[in-house]
Amino acid sequence: MKHVLSGRGMLEAVLMGELPRETTGSFDQVIRQRETQVLRTAFRILGNWADAEDVAQEVFLRLHKNGLKFENEAAVGGWLYRVTVNLCVDWTRSARTAQELPELPSPDRSAEAAVLVEEEKQRLMAALATLPTQERAAVVLREIEGLSTAEVAGVLGSSEVTVRSQISKAMVKLRGILNREEV
Amino acid sequence: MTERHMQDLFREMRDEPVPQDSLARVRLGVEQRVGRKSWWKFAVPLAMAGCVVAGFLLLRPAKAPLPVEQPATPEVAQVVIPPPELPIRTVQAAPRPKRVRRPQRVEGVPVSIRIETPDPDVVILFVN
Repeated sequence: MKHVLSGRGMLEAVLMGELPRETTGSFDQVIRQRETQVLRTAFRILGNWADAEDVAQEVFLRLHKNGLKFENEAAVGGWLYRVTVNLCVDWTRSARTAQELPELPSPDRSAEAAVLVEEEKQRLMAALATLPTQERAAVVLREIEGLSTAEVAGVLGSSEVTVRSQISKAMVKLRGILNREEV
Repeated sequence: MTERHMQDLFREMRDEPVPQDSLARVRLGVEQRVGRKSWWKFAVPLAMAGCVVAGFLLLRPAKAPLPVEQPATPEVAQVVIPPPELPIRTVQAAPRPKRVRRPQRVEGVPVSIRIETPDPDVVILFVN
């Protein structure tokens, strides 16, 4: 049976078991689809692009080693989030992080407002970097990546109650840090 | 800063694009490291297969050399010349010289050997 598929169709076919798994093509497709997710998550947790790139590379190497043994596309995403967070936690434990200010392009708006929002984001990121890694990961996954509390719990390997508690505590701490700076 | 405001800022961060050069570095790094591992993954089986083939070639029984085709010779009318008939000579084997038995030596009896030479005046005598 010959398949002529590309892009998303290819990935779905691989995940549905219609094509041989662990092909170079399908692995490349997964990288292209998920690289932004992995790199952005690592950057938000680690606070700098250089470390985030290293972690992202390691995540995809583990994916290659593991093979595409997933039941569906959501499982791929969950697995990648979990490995990314775990590697970021290991990375911060080994104290290799070098803090740098985020350099992200701002969306279209007036120059003054854009500068103001950018400053706020940088302060928020700096405050986020002071939190314990588990709390930071919970905030990044739910607030920035937009996962549900249940999904975050699945990624972090904890209960929903714990995740809610971690996020609540983190938000209180962040507010405290930012309001203290404003005064 | 309120919690609502923080959540808005977080949501904006979600939509921010990731630097293309960072993505390119990740892709390149993964490609290089996966490629390197793949090379090793294939190198060992290939080397083993090479050893098996080499062993097979060295240990296989020697075959008879293939017949070499002679170049075709032009057809020439052949005349068979019978060999000249020679008289058949029968050669008889030379008779074996008869062995001369030594005379048995008897204890106490003197043995004498007399050898005659071509010269009738000379006779050699051995006396025991």
